[in-house]
Amino acid sequence: MIRWRYIISITGILAIFLSVAMLFPLLYGFFIQDQSVQPLAYSALITFGGGAFLYRFFYIPHSNYLSHREGVAIVSFGWITIGFFGALPFYFGFENCTIVDAVFESVSGFTTTGASVLNDIEALPKGLLLWRSLIQWLGGMGIIVLSIAILPFLGVGGMQLYKAEIPSPVPDKLRPRIRDTAMVLWKVYVLLSLMQIFFLTLGGMNYFDSLCHTFTTMPTGGFSTKNASIGYFQSPYIETVIAVFMILAGINFSLHFLLLSGKISSFYKDSEVRFYFFLLTGLIACITLDVWKTVYPDLSDAFRYAFFQVASIMTTTGYATADYESWPATSQMILLLCMFIGACAGSTGGGIKCLRIFLYLKYCYKELFSLIHPHAVRHVKIGGNSVPEDVMRSVLGFIGLYIGLFATCSVLLAATGVDLLTAISATASAIGNIGPGLGSVGPAENYSHLPFLGKWILIWCMLIGRLEIYTLLILVLPEFWRK
Amino acid sequence: MKIIIVGAGNVGYHVAHRLSQENKEVVVIDKDHDAVRRITDTVDAQGIVGSGGSPLVLEKAGLREAELLMALTDSDEINLLACLSADLVSPTSQKIARIRSTDYDLYMETFRLKPPHIGTIINPDVEVVKTIDRMIEFPGAVDINEFAEGKIKFVGIRLDEGARLTGISLSSLSSQMNQKMPLITAIIRNDRLIIPSGTDTLKAGDLVYFVSESSQLRKTLSFFEKFKSPVRRAMIIGGGRIGSKLARLFETKDISTKLIEKNQNRCNKLAEMLEKTVVINGNGTDIDILVEENVNDMDIVASLTDDEGSNIVSSLLVKHMGAKMTITRVNKFGYFPLMGTIGLDHIINPGLSAINTILQHVRRGKILSAQSIKGAHAEIMEAVAMETSDMVGCPIKNIKFPKGALVAAIIRQDEIIIPTGNSIIMPGDRIIIFARRTDIPYIERILSVKLEFI
Repeated sequence: MIRWRYIISITGILAIFLSVAMLFPLLYGFFIQDQSVQPLAYSALITFGGGAFLYRFFYIPHSNYLSHREGVAIVSFGWITIGFFGALPFYFGFENCTIVDAVFESVSGFTTTGASVLNDIEALPKGLLLWRSLIQWLGGMGIIVLSIAILPFLGVGGMQLYKAEIPSPVPDKLRPRIRDTAMVLWKVYVLLSLMQIFFLTLGGMNYFDSLCHTFTTMPTGGFSTKNASIGYFQSPYIETVIAVFMILAGINFSLHFLLLSGKISSFYKDSEVRFYFFLLTGLIACITLDVWKTVYPDLSDAFRYAFFQVASIMTTTGYATADYESWPATSQMILLLCMFIGACAGSTGGGIKCLRIFLYLKYCYKELFSLIHPHAVRHVKIGGNSVPEDVMRSVLGFIGLYIGLFATCSVLLAATGVDLLTAISATASAIGNIGPGLGSVGPAENYSHLPFLGKWILIWCMLIGRLEIYTLLILVLPEFWRK
Repeated sequence: MKIIIVGAGNVGYHVAHRLSQENKEVVVIDKDHDAVRRITDTVDAQGIVGSGGSPLVLEKAGLREAELLMALTDSDEINLLACLSADLVSPTSQKIARIRSTDYDLYMETFRLKPPHIGTIINPDVEVVKTIDRMIEFPGAVDINEFAEGKIKFVGIRLDEGARLTGISLSSLSSQMNQKMPLITAIIRNDRLIIPSGTDTLKAGDLVYFVSESSQLRKTLSFFEKFKSPVRRAMIIGGGRIGSKLARLFETKDISTKLIEKNQNRCNKLAEMLEKTVVINGNGTDIDILVEENVNDMDIVASLTDDEGSNIVSSLLVKHMGAKMTITRVNKFGYFPLMGTIGLDHIINPGLSAINTILQHVRRGKILSAQSIKGAHAEIMEAVAMETSDMVGCPIKNIKFPKGALVAAIIRQDEIIIPTGNSIIMPGDRIIIFARRTDIPYIERILSVKLEFI
């Protein structure tokens, strides 16, 4: 049984929460007296009003036990609600903005995709730029995880929400209580963000830009305040800092916590992290060799751009320092594949996740092995422990669904009149929460020219991808709605 | 407060569930992947798959920061081993073990003083027999808890259809009855807990909880038309560990007892063990045997076999045949709410008795004991009012108390006060507090936060 009133009232609370978040860019806009004050003030009022209405009129006394279904419903509807309310500042703030464009920008922000429909980012008032970055930061670690950390009302039910928002093949709880776990994750997140701001300002970036770029690097988001993205700065130092923090953000946050609490060995002993670094190094090497002499005569330049671009796509951030569409086909193909791999499980990155790919490869090996030794008993192991059968099944199911969803949506997108390469790469990029694709949505272009229906398809792709397929997709099943 | 629980069975699950509701940090260890999964899916606790007897696993579970280890598996050996390993890893941690075998009874003191330093040993069978003992003292009451060395009793009774108290608002009860009313602290109606105010009325079928001085309990029970004469004749169905323990208890109380047991060999053993009890070989659901043994004359029939289905059937059967009171052992917690509906009020469960005892040991500060209330999410506890506590020195109505909590009695030296809004709690008083489970962390705080400061 699902208590719909309860679920709606909780989404109301999330909206109220969002309206509080709007106050930060509003205050900033007020402080520097720019054009963003009015749209942000209207949005904050409407969001607060809407949230208060939902909370007040649907509130029922409840026990704080949540069923798995209710957890899924709250997270799904919470994200949809937030996506829509978060679009308001864009709707009021952009000139001639349509609803679909505002929602696209907002969902792309919250899901940390970083795909934009804006032609001229630099023309935006700074308050809105800050909001655009802030929503990525909030969405990265998960707005519901944040509410679990700071709002006590979710209590015991918090765990169902946590599992639905950060689905991980092997869920790990850092502390016995879910609230402490959420708190620890956010603390690590904030700490890493502060470090990045420090390093960026050290490289001469101004405070506003370093704040905004940190807000979009840590969640592996990819919104920039500049039209040319990170390429604008033309600084190897800034590129390195951002690339390093993208890679850090792509690592399981539990490991960061262990690292910070002094357990360094658990960091480099972790099979997933090893696999992640192995892939990163390998792919950077491949692309460096591929673009060396063909595009960049200098090896150091080739390495610099390859390093940044692989880090950016693989961690699903989506910043650009170079227009990789002018690179050879091999490099472009590798980058397209990176979109599917994604970062580590439990990080802020998207994609299939290294852990799943790693388990999948091991499983394939096991299958081949058992063809040679039909009677062999062999387990898929990670870090010395056997992976339980049900975890393995959910990994295989996830990869199957991911590919299936990608195939379906790219066909649908192509049907709206988009060319083949754009359809394929835009879908992959949206489901993986990356940002730029190839073809007409490459790093130098944006999504504004896509047809109306195409944008809606991508909005759903981003949401489904952010909540790791299962959470949003089970809402489609009729069984979910049956009593 | 961090607590590690070894064993994710029924007892482990429920202890973890309660403690996590009270905002404790709970880590559960079990060998069985699925059992751990069941806990982490529904309880806000951390689960670790591994053997609780292994020092490595205990270390991984964070035993060093934990204050308490509870070994609650079904196996005495694993529980002892877990305590021993815990003693190696962290000698300062408190330990509670669930141990069933009576063989260890004589060595309890040794266990406490020498490694593994088990502070408390809990035997579910003993706890359940204690529960039954409390029940039969006043057969009219459904639930009896004792406080202040037995001077105060917290009693639950079920109001029958047509009882003279139904339909009258609580504030006018005492004037209508021309009698002093006991303080009604809680009503459980249709499985929902009501903390009554003066305007609430009692209804038939309500489970009514009140506080009474032990010396006054007879009078109070007759006020509720619930006083019944004490037990003289008893029948026990099922001669297992609990059944035989209970028979021995009845022998010491001069209650004439008949014990029905299916298994011939077990009967021989029982006959050897017991003195006055009549041991009967037969099936507790067999009507002929029940008639033959005059079940209609029994003051009490306790069905205590391992099979809850046949326990329920036996109890319904003997009740129908005229036994005055039945006690039924039910293992599945989920069936409890059902039992009131089919007319079986006295339910016992070794797990639940163990859980209650365990939870009493977890309370911090100056909470002396606590009892949970049947099937409801509430507890009643006894505490010492410290001089530094926020509750001391001002009228009760001015204390910032959560909605679901109230002070049910104050004990000052030998005097027992049933408080009104103007009563003042003095330092050193013992107070009985009734609270919803969700409010317990708050209560614990106002009782003991300043205590830690000293």
